[in-house]
Amino acid sequence: MPPKLLTHLILALVAVSGAAAARRHPAPANFTASGNPVYIWPLPKNFTSGTQTLAVDPDLALDPQGAGGGAAAVAEAFERYRHLIFSPWAHAARPASAGYDVARLTVVVASADETLELGVDESYTIYIAAAGGANSIVGGATIEANTIYGAIRGLETFSQLCVFNYDTKNVEVRYAPWYIQDEPRFAFRGLMLDTSRHYLPVDVIKQVIDSMSFSKLNVLHWHIIDEQSFPLEIPSYPNLWKGSYSKSERYTVEDARYIVSYAKKRGIHVMAEIDVPGHAESWGNGYPKLWPSLSYMRKIFPFGLFHLGGDEVYTGCWNLTPHVKQWLDERNMTTKDAYKYFVLKAQEIAIDLNWIPVNWEETFNSFGGSLNPRTVVHNWLGPGVCPKVVAKGLRCIMSNQGVWYLDHLDVPWEQVYTAEPLAGIDDTAQQKLVLGGEVCMWGETADTSDVQQTIWPRAAAAAERMWSQLEAISAQDLETTVLARLHYFRCLLNHRGIAAAPVTNFYARRPPIGPGSCFVQ
Amino acid sequence: TFSQLCVFNYDTKNVEVRYAPWYIQDEPRFAFRGLMLDTSRHYLPVDVIKQVIDSMSFSKLNVLHWHIIDEQSFPLEIPSYPNLWKGSYSKSERYTVEDARYIVSYAKKRGIHVMAEIDVPGHAESWGNGYPKLWPSLSCTEPLDVSSNFTFEVITGILSDMRKIFPFGLFHLGGDEVYTGCWNLTPHVKQWLDERNMTTKDAYKYFVLKAQEIAIDLNWIPVNWEETFNSFGGSLNPRTVVHNWLGPGVCPKVVAKGLRCIMSNQGVWYLDHLDVPWEQVYTAEPLAGIDDTAQQKLVLGGEVCMWGETADTSDVQQTIWPRAAAAAERMWSQLEAISAQDLETTVLARLHYFRCLLNHRGIAAAPVTNFYARRPPIGPGSCFVQ
Repeated sequence: MPPKLLTHLILALVAVSGAAAARRHPAPANFTASGNPVYIWPLPKNFTSGTQTLAVDPDLALDPQGAGGGAAAVAEAFERYRHLIFSPWAHAARPASAGYDVARLTVVVASADETLELGVDESYTIYIAAAGGANSIVGGATIEANTIYGAIRGLETFSQLCVFNYDTKNVEVRYAPWYIQDEPRFAFRGLMLDTSRHYLPVDVIKQVIDSMSFSKLNVLHWHIIDEQSFPLEIPSYPNLWKGSYSKSERYTVEDARYIVSYAKKRGIHVMAEIDVPGHAESWGNGYPKLWPSLSYMRKIFPFGLFHLGGDEVYTGCWNLTPHVKQWLDERNMTTKDAYKYFVLKAQEIAIDLNWIPVNWEETFNSFGGSLNPRTVVHNWLGPGVCPKVVAKGLRCIMSNQGVWYLDHLDVPWEQVYTAEPLAGIDDTAQQKLVLGGEVCMWGETADTSDVQQTIWPRAAAAAERMWSQLEAISAQDLETTVLARLHYFRCLLNHRGIAAAPVTNFYARRPPIGPGSCFVQ
Repeated sequence: TFSQLCVFNYDTKNVEVRYAPWYIQDEPRFAFRGLMLDTSRHYLPVDVIKQVIDSMSFSKLNVLHWHIIDEQSFPLEIPSYPNLWKGSYSKSERYTVEDARYIVSYAKKRGIHVMAEIDVPGHAESWGNGYPKLWPSLSCTEPLDVSSNFTFEVITGILSDMRKIFPFGLFHLGGDEVYTGCWNLTPHVKQWLDERNMTTKDAYKYFVLKAQEIAIDLNWIPVNWEETFNSFGGSLNPRTVVHNWLGPGVCPKVVAKGLRCIMSNQGVWYLDHLDVPWEQVYTAEPLAGIDDTAQQKLVLGGEVCMWGETADTSDVQQTIWPRAAAAAERMWSQLEAISAQDLETTVLARLHYFRCLLNHRGIAAAPVTNFYARRPPIGPGSCFVQ
């Protein structure tokens, strides 16, 4: 029987800043039982900790329980985290007669349903204690969740509690016993990747998905196609991908399915985007006049939302093209009417395929009242948009370019962190219409060589904004507590092979200014 | 090579070998084709070193010169002197002996040697964090105290511990950029020098040769940076391999004295010099100025050096590639064949293709055609033209 939920928070308000320590040994802030930063990112909703250090067995065994515990996705996730937690040599170096406080990780999953859809229950609890502790019957670690996706979130948190001790050469959980009860504030916590301005190989998309899972981002908005290139195979119109940069800078339908499946194992949705009617120059390489069938994409992308773009539609040349001008005149339409017509028609096609359409905010700004009521409006142009959207009863995703466009290199992490999706929305019912937010990695100057360096660590700042509780993150001191915790998380990303850039540079994706520790740069 | 012959056909969705039948007979021109990683200016996690090793194997580079330690940090565990790694940047920016062994084993599976370096007596300030007695004084923290037996006890301990980890026949003892000024200013060192009628330059030689003996006793061939040769080349142990870095025209002098040489002329093969375009990397020739065949054999090969002052996990691979590939071909392929290619058509097209192959394998190789290394692409475009 799990312990009762403890509702009080032990939360760091004051950090012992690593930067204040000796230049040569800028250790992260000392960990004590209270009043110090918690090095879990993003910050969990509720937690208590203690003062004990528990040694974790390098042969840690998975003990699956519950209707969903036996799912392959759980076992696979455990294996991935085992490789992240323990060194490759740990098993071979394990003393035969060693005793460990945590030898088994019990994962209890209530439901066997593996459906991944927006709003799936991602909550979990973690309990870690030594044997004979006041609240435990058996020592060890337990993750409990309603769904396998909650369990996967719990595994990520567990992996961040496991720390390698360079003195004892054991993996340890410090400040035990831990009781954590966690769930996200927003259901939609996205990262947008642009694979049209630069083709990103499947291996690179996989790396990005892995790094998303480390900060509990859960929607990969795949902006597959744009003006410059059309890299995706569309079987019903096989000439479309002649718009790819080259024959090998392409994704087959199998590649796309594989990416969706790879993401699903990490509880990450893939929201595909076909940006129409603007941003579609590359389509003309294959078909001078066309209207693609979305039905094939429906088979590849099961996520309930589909992004239809609709941004930056410059209709000038519609008027200049005779047959289009004629078509407009016949219907007594301006080009603005035609823009609306196009968007609504595309929406119908998506809805017929059982998708909820997402559109960039120009559609709302231009003809918000005409948008299908199911529409999710994707804000990007600036602040103060979601309040207007939800006041009209539509749902909203926040990506205000002033703070959450990752290609804007002059936005420091503090601005990313303090951007609030519910800003200006006080009505609780309207607040629920904000699905969440998304950081956008536009690809004009981001390719394989620098994409991860541009995404991280700033995407982590947004990830915490979207996962953690508002009161808790607002209470932290930005330049001591949050900075120390973000430094730690950046070093964790590096440790896992992710090219997260220095935290303290003014411009994103710049090299470190000189030699130094990960924890202060 | 086989993996590079296999190409995915996006029409048939098969992997194909084109232009068959193939008959390839291949072997490297030089036995020593190195990449140096600096894990002292920035700690590089084991996972990152593994990625670098993987990428080396893709271009058949075969020596990882691990410049583990330097002034700024001492990240490696030394069991006989367990306080040394207190000089690490933090408790977690460290390598245990198991990590080091694992790296050696990971590299070995790819046919890659690991040549470790303990740079002495300069570049060693970090040693004193754990053992302040190694510093001549608190105001003279570099070079190591030549007058102290303890210094050489520690070096012996380090090398003995490392002999169990690094089986490669060559061990790098550094010896570069030794600024001996404060030896004269530190009373007990000055006294030691005077008692032996030594100048600081003599003491530098004494230090290097004594360290060499320790390595040789452990069955290693010592490698030293070229200042040792430039300063007292005639006194170096005849087994010494001299590591050129200061400029061109050094290996000819080294091999003329019967010593072996590794080329890393900083004007072309220092990867932290971002203003060296790939063409200059590609055309640098280790045997330049050496016509005698017997002397040519004394050039073991060369090495591109990834100094870490501004290279950490976030940008190290982007800085190494694709220019290291240019050097890799120079060191593997036949001189006549590579010289015959047109640089700006044939080689460029091939290097573009290889850069895209690296990207396809998840390696953050930078655009080929930017002037400065590790710059972002200037705008949207295909991998094959940027």
